Amino acid sequence: MDNNIKNMPNFRPNKAPARKTVREIIYHVVGIVISLAFILPILYMLATSTKSEAIYAEGVGTIKMFLPDFANIGVAFDNYKNVLIDYDIWKYALNSFIYAAVVIVLNILINGLAGYAMAKLTFPGKKLLSFLIIFLIVVPVETSIIPLYSIVKVMLGLKKQMSVIGVILPAAISIFNIFLFMQFFQNIPKEYEEAARMDGANTLGVFFKVIMPLSKPILATVAVFCFIGVWNDYLWPSMILPAANDGSWPLTPIQTALIAITSTPNITTGQVMASLVITSIPIFVIYVAAQKYIVQGFGTSGLKM
Amino acid sequence: MIKTTIIIFVLFFLAFCGFVVYDLTTAKRRKEVYRVKSSATAYLLLLPSVVLAFLFIMLPILYSLGYAFTDYYLLDPDNIKFILFDNFKELFEEISEKGMLYNAIKNTATFVIGVVPLQIILALLLDLFVNRPGFGSKIFKVCFFAPVVISLSVTAFLWQQILAPGEGGLLNSMLSVFGVPPHDWLRDPNTAMPCIIVLSAWQGCGYQMLIFLSGLSNIRKDLYEASSLDGANWWNKFWLVTWPGLRSTFVYILITVFIGACRIMTQPMLMTGYQEHTVTLSYYMYQVGYKDYWVGTSTAVALLMTIFIGGITLIQRRAFREK
Amino acid sequence: MKRFLISIISIILLLALSLSMTACGGDNGGGEGDDFEIDENGNVVTIVKIMFHVDKKSTEGQAYQKRINAFNAEYKDKGIKAQAIFKARTTGASGYETELTNNKIEGTLADIITFDAPNTAAYANSGLLYDISSLIPAEDQEKFFSLNKYNGKLYGLPIQESSAGFFYNKNIFRAAGIDVSAYTAENPWTFEQFKDVCARLKAHGVTAVDMRLDATKDETAPYLLYPFIYAAGGSFVSEDGLTAEGYYNSAATQKGFQFIKDLVNAGYTSNSIGPTDFFTGKVGMYLSSGWTIPELDNKYRENFGSRDGWGILPYPKDVTAASATGSWSYAITNNHHADKTAAVELLKFMTSAESSRAITDATGMIPARKDAVKDYAAGSPEYTLLKQLELSGKERPVTVAYPTFSTTFNQIIYRLNNTNLTDLLNSQARELQKEIDKVKDR
Repeated sequence: MDNNIKNMPNFRPNKAPARKTVREIIYHVVGIVISLAFILPILYMLATSTKSEAIYAEGVGTIKMFLPDFANIGVAFDNYKNVLIDYDIWKYALNSFIYAAVVIVLNILINGLAGYAMAKLTFPGKKLLSFLIIFLIVVPVETSIIPLYSIVKVMLGLKKQMSVIGVILPAAISIFNIFLFMQFFQNIPKEYEEAARMDGANTLGVFFKVIMPLSKPILATVAVFCFIGVWNDYLWPSMILPAANDGSWPLTPIQTALIAITSTPNITTGQVMASLVITSIPIFVIYVAAQKYIVQGFGTSGLKM
Repeated sequence: MIKTTIIIFVLFFLAFCGFVVYDLTTAKRRKEVYRVKSSATAYLLLLPSVVLAFLFIMLPILYSLGYAFTDYYLLDPDNIKFILFDNFKELFEEISEKGMLYNAIKNTATFVIGVVPLQIILALLLDLFVNRPGFGSKIFKVCFFAPVVISLSVTAFLWQQILAPGEGGLLNSMLSVFGVPPHDWLRDPNTAMPCIIVLSAWQGCGYQMLIFLSGLSNIRKDLYEASSLDGANWWNKFWLVTWPGLRSTFVYILITVFIGACRIMTQPMLMTGYQEHTVTLSYYMYQVGYKDYWVGTSTAVALLMTIFIGGITLIQRRAFREK
Repeated sequence: MKRFLISIISIILLLALSLSMTACGGDNGGGEGDDFEIDENGNVVTIVKIMFHVDKKSTEGQAYQKRINAFNAEYKDKGIKAQAIFKARTTGASGYETELTNNKIEGTLADIITFDAPNTAAYANSGLLYDISSLIPAEDQEKFFSLNKYNGKLYGLPIQESSAGFFYNKNIFRAAGIDVSAYTAENPWTFEQFKDVCARLKAHGVTAVDMRLDATKDETAPYLLYPFIYAAGGSFVSEDGLTAEGYYNSAATQKGFQFIKDLVNAGYTSNSIGPTDFFTGKVGMYLSSGWTIPELDNKYRENFGSRDGWGILPYPKDVTAASATGSWSYAITNNHHADKTAAVELLKFMTSAESSRAITDATGMIPARKDAVKDYAAGSPEYTLLKQLELSGKERPVTVAYPTFSTTFNQIIYRLNNTNLTDLLNSQARELQKEIDKVKDR
C-alpha cells in the first residue's frame, strides 16, 4: 500500500502545516459521516443480535438501536446458541463450507488448466475458443436457470441426495475464471517455463511447479470468488436440493436455510439478526485475509475486455 | 431429451473440427507449424472445462433457444410440442396490455438506469477518497467495504427491517425525530424501486471501489510527478492521468455492474414478493418458468433478454474501448 | 506452505469423497429400489410412502407419526408397511411445493401426499393426482364435511377441517365496555357492527384488529380474507371455474375489498402490526385460524389468565354470511406404482374416524369427518368455529389456475392502499383469466 502514497493526486509535501491540519480534519469528519452511512445498518444488525425482544422494542427510535445490550450478555449468548444449535445453522454452514471447498479445488484445476492452455500453448482452434470465451462472458448465463434446471433434473436425472452434484458441477466451471487465469498467465515471462522444461518437466509439471506458485494472487482471487459465489447462492440450491428431511443430515447450504429460518413463526428479532451475523462472518474473514491478493489479482490481469 | 443433447453435441463437435481444419489450412498457407504434441496436450487440458461448459453453459443457452418455440410445461417433460412464435406473440400481447411483463421491463430498466451510474460513481468517489496514506483512510476503506461481505439475502432481510412500515420501522423511527410521518417504503410504488436501488448500491459499491483501487495502483506514479511539475491542478490530474489509467478497469466495471443489474431478482423477491411495482425480468422468468411451470414462455423471455443485454454490452465495449 | 497446501487439498478431497459416498448411499436408501422388503418370516412386504407437509418434531408431525406406527402395527401381518416422509413447509423460496415439483420431475413421488385443498384442480389437471372416485365407497364419502373434487371426480380426502374467526381479548373488551355476547356463529354480526366495535376499540386506545394484511407471501392472507368478498355478495370465478372476468372484478367483489380498505383508512388495522402484538395485549382482535387455540392455551396462557381472557367471534356478514374453510388433504399420486391397493388401505386408515380424532386433538382443528366430531360446549371457541363451518363455511374458488388466484389475491391485499381498487381488480381478473385459458387449453 505504501507505494500508493505518491500515486495520490492531491499529495502535496510542501503545504503550510496549518492548512494541512484543517484539510485533515475536514477529510476525517467527512469520512466518518460517510462511513456511518455504510455501517449503521450493520451496527444495527450486530446490536440487535444481542437483545431480547423486549429490550429491542424499547430501543426502537432511539440511539440505543445501534448499541449492544451488554447488561444482559446471557441473552446474546442464548440468541447465538439458539440459532446455531436449535435451528441447526452450524450444519448448513458446514454444508456450505464443504460445497465451497470442493468447488474451489475443482474450479482452480479445471479452469486453471484451461487458462494455461489458452495462454501458453498453440493449437488449432484457439481463435474460435478465445472468441467463445469473450462471447460467453458477455451473455448473461443466469437467464437460463430454467433450462439448467431441466438439464440437471430431466437429462442428467440427478435426484434426491445426488442433487448435490447439481450444486457443485455447474459452479465448477466459470468462463470468467478461465479468462482471469488466461490474462494472468499471459503476463508470466516465458523464461520461467523454459528453464523448467530444460530440467525435463512436462506440461503438467510446469503448470504445478512453475505457474501455480507464481500465481498466488489470481489463485486467491478465484478462490475468494468461488467461496463467495457458493456461500451466497440460495436460489439454485433451493430449486434442486431436496427439502430438509428430518433425521438425516440436511443438504441445504446456509443461505437457503436462512430464508426458511428467518420466516419461522415466533423467532425473535434478536435471533434473526444473530443468524444474519453468523452468515456474514466467514465472508468477512475471507475478504480481510485475501484483500491484498484480490487487488493484486485484478491489477495484474489488467481486465481488458 | 438425451438424444437431442447427443445430436447437439455432435453438431458442436463437427463445427469445432471444421474450425480446426480451417485453422490448419491457413497455418499451412502461412507456413506456420502446429506441433502435434503441444496441440494434443492443449486439447487434453481443455477437455474438462469444455465438457462442463458445454453441459452447464452452452446447453442451457441452446435449450432456451429451442424451448422458446415450444409449449414445454415443467411437470410434463415428455410431451413437448413446437408452437413456433406463439410464446413471443403472447409476450408482446402482455407488453401491450401493460401486464406483468411490461412492469418487469419497466422496473428492470428503472433499476439499471438508477443503479449503474449511482454505484459506479459512488465507487469511483469512494476510491479516490480512500486512496491516500494514513490510518483514517484505512479504517474508512474497511467501513465502505463492510456491506459487501453481507450477502444479498442478508441485505434483503436487514433492509426489510430498516424499511418496515409503521413507527416500528428503523428508518421511520429515525425520521420521526424530525417530525416526518411514518411511510410504507416498500409498498408505495413511488419509493419501492428507489429504495431497492439505494440498498443495492450501498451493498455493492465497496466491491467496485476495491477494483478501482487495484486499477489506481497500476498507474505509473511518475506521470503524477510529471504533471505536478507542469502545474496541473487536481482536476487536470484526474482527467489526464487517473482517468485514462482507469479506463480499462472502468469498462470492466461498467459491463459487470450492468449485467449484474439486469439480473436483479433477489431483492424484490425477498423484500416484496411478486408485485407489479417491483417485479423484474429475472423474477418474472423464475415465477413463470418455475412456479407456474411455463418453461416455454420463460425461455422466450430469456432469449429476448439475452439478445438485448448482449447487444448493449457489445455497444458498451465498442464505445469505451481504448483506441 | 507447500505442505500446508497439500494437506488442505487432501482434506478437501477426502471430504468431497465422503460426501459423494453418503450421497450415493442415501440415494440407494431413498430410491425406487425399496418398494418392497422381506420381513423376518420371509414374506414380501409392500412399502407405501406418505409425505407430510409438516416438521416431524411438531405436535402435528408427531400425531401423524403415531398414526403411521398404529397402521404398521395393524397391517404387520397383511404385508403392508407405511413409511412417513416429513418435508416441512416453509414460506421461503424452498419448501413443500418445490419438493413436489422436483419429485414429480424426478419420478420419485411418494404414494400418498398431503396438499392444500384449493390446489385440487390445478394438481389434478397437471396429472399429479390419481382419480380415487371408484376406490372410496359412496357411503364413506358422505361422512366428510368436504371432498376434493374436480370435474366430478374425487382426487383427495381432507385430513382435517379448519375455520377461522376473530380471536378477541376479553380483558380489553371488558375494560372498553364492549359487549359482544350477542354475536355468535348462529347469529353473526354485520359489517356495520364490526366497524362499530373497531371504532370503540380505537377510542379505547388500542389497535382494533389485526387483519393479517402483512401475510401476503403465502396462503395466509387469501385463506383468512376471502370470506369478506363472499359475504359482500362477490365472487372470484364462475361456477365451472373457467371465467374470472366479470366475477373477480364485479361491483360486489369490489365492495368486499373496499370494506377491508375502509378498515385500514379508518385506522382500525394496518400492515405494520407486530406478529405478537395481540398476544401481548396491544391489539383487540386477531383474525386467525384454529391453530391459534393451542398457542393461546399453552404458550400465552399467562398473558390471558385462562380461557376467560379470550374468545372467538365469527366472521361478520353483509349480504350473506361466509366463513373460511378448507385445509390440507391426502391424495394418492400418479407415481410409478400401478397397483394402488396398499396406498388405498393407508388412505382409508389415515382418514378413519379414529385417525381424524387423534390428529385434530393435536392440532386444535375440526375433524374432517362428521362422525369424529366431539360435542363442544355451546359458546366455546371450538363450538363457534364448528358451527360457523357448518352454517356459513364456503370454500375458496375451484380453478385450475389456483396458484395464480392466490398470487393475484395477495397482490390486491399488498397494494390495497396505494392503488385504485377498480383498476386493480380489472387487471387481476384479466391476469387470472389469461392463466385459466392457458392451463385449460394445454
